[in-house]
Amino acid sequence: MKTLKLILGENWLWRRQIANLALMDIKKTCRGAVLGWVWLFVKPITYIAVFWFALELGLRAGGNTEYPYIVWLSAGLIPWFFMQEMINTGSNVYKRYPFLVNRIAFPLSAISTFFTLSQFIIFLMLVVLLVVLCYVVGAPLTVYALQLIPVFVLMLVFWNLFSIMCSPLSAISKDFYNLLKALSTPLFWLSGIIFDVSNLSSGALHLVLAFNPVTFFAEAVRASVCENYWLWERPDVLLPFLAVLAVTFVLAVRCYGKLRKDVADVL
Amino acid sequence: MSSKQTGLVLPDTQALVMRDEDSANPVAIEFDHVTKSYKLFKNDRARFMSAFSKNVPYKEVRANDNLSFTIRRGEAVAFLGTNGAGKSTALKIITGVSHPTSGRVCVHGRVSALLELSAGFDGQLSGRENIAFRGQLWGLSAEEIAQLEPRIIDFAELGDYIDQPMRTYSSGMKARLGFAFASSIKPDILVVDEALSVGDRRFAKKCLARVHEIMSDSHVTVLFVTHSSSSAKEFCKRGIVLDRGRNIYDADIKDAIAYYEGIV
Repeated sequence: MKTLKLILGENWLWRRQIANLALMDIKKTCRGAVLGWVWLFVKPITYIAVFWFALELGLRAGGNTEYPYIVWLSAGLIPWFFMQEMINTGSNVYKRYPFLVNRIAFPLSAISTFFTLSQFIIFLMLVVLLVVLCYVVGAPLTVYALQLIPVFVLMLVFWNLFSIMCSPLSAISKDFYNLLKALSTPLFWLSGIIFDVSNLSSGALHLVLAFNPVTFFAEAVRASVCENYWLWERPDVLLPFLAVLAVTFVLAVRCYGKLRKDVADVL
Repeated sequence: MSSKQTGLVLPDTQALVMRDEDSANPVAIEFDHVTKSYKLFKNDRARFMSAFSKNVPYKEVRANDNLSFTIRRGEAVAFLGTNGAGKSTALKIITGVSHPTSGRVCVHGRVSALLELSAGFDGQLSGRENIAFRGQLWGLSAEEIAQLEPRIIDFAELGDYIDQPMRTYSSGMKARLGFAFASSIKPDILVVDEALSVGDRRFAKKCLARVHEIMSDSHVTVLFVTHSSSSAKEFCKRGIVLDRGRNIYDADIKDAIAYYEGIV
């Protein structure tokens, strides 16, 4: 309870710095290249194009839906890019800003927050491209797109908690971080980013994937932009995720409370 | 769950850190029986396991051991001691980077630290951006940063390099910028750790002059950490000698230096 109050207090007190640091983080990512921020989009767009080429044109995936396959594919890949960045870098964010940990008195949870925020801003820019794509290919948004707002809030909260939970552990144990990094690519192939989870024939697999937050966010964005259903109509998707969120929340508060004072000593 | 929760809070009740910006308080810094211990685990795996279980064995090293002192506002105090005496640990606790294991720490006023000057900058950002970045963290508004910027750049003598990414700077350039920034932001408490050996002799002289200028303001409290007794004598009126984490001598600077030189 005390740790939760601390986390919320830190983030509120430093809110102005958090916003500025998030922008600074994007600047830092773009730094050093002539084209700068263009590169933020080149990688995701190439990925989408390549997967679209291989899957729809090559393997003839998709087909019998009323929306084009590329919309469905992008709606899964774009949240994935954000989540991938959170798994790879967000889970070990103190490494990215060591001087904020052991040179300046800066609240550690706020480092997670501003990093999550910076990645989220990049994600939102890609979402704008996704919306443009929807209209270009003739699959305009419907009222279900309103669902994106709560989904985005959940995304921000969940992955911020994820970063607050994992970063102290990663700082203390390189094994933990290596494990997360090793899981990142398998997660992409297993989580239903490029295939439809509901096509899986095994019920057990369904159950396992229901507890995978990566699957949930890909499905949630798809539900809002192309598959057109409300998440509360699918308790089999929503409830397992809420359980995962609750567990992450408890673990994040616990890890942070226990380890935050040790991080500066071990980094 | 609830019993574990109380176990979680316990270290906080043992160690108390109070920090405010009350620069009118006649006491600037107070250490009351402060102990900082580092846990040395057998290996990284043991350290990791200790996050989940209390039964992991470790060796305890006390960097600060039952350390007590009070520094009043406007005082200039030198910390003397050999390597490993616990000077830097005490300063880290004062700046808020490190947390005491037990004891009570009160810090009244804003602390700016000249600790390891060349560190604490982001190599990807330019010098100018780093000034803005640090200014943000210090809580300055955009106008205040704009006002300070020319003064900092001028003092650091970086010339055209100020708009280059900091990873291209030499260590001397980083240290100069670090000193220029930390000494320009008008702190209530200034912590100087071996910083005056920055750059060449001419620049070191300039730094000394700057520290003198800051210290002429009777409200600024200065903590000075050094091995060199001559610069301690120049700045400070009081000396605290540390040895293995303990405060073993606390007196007038001349006596403290005499004592320190006696034990080295």
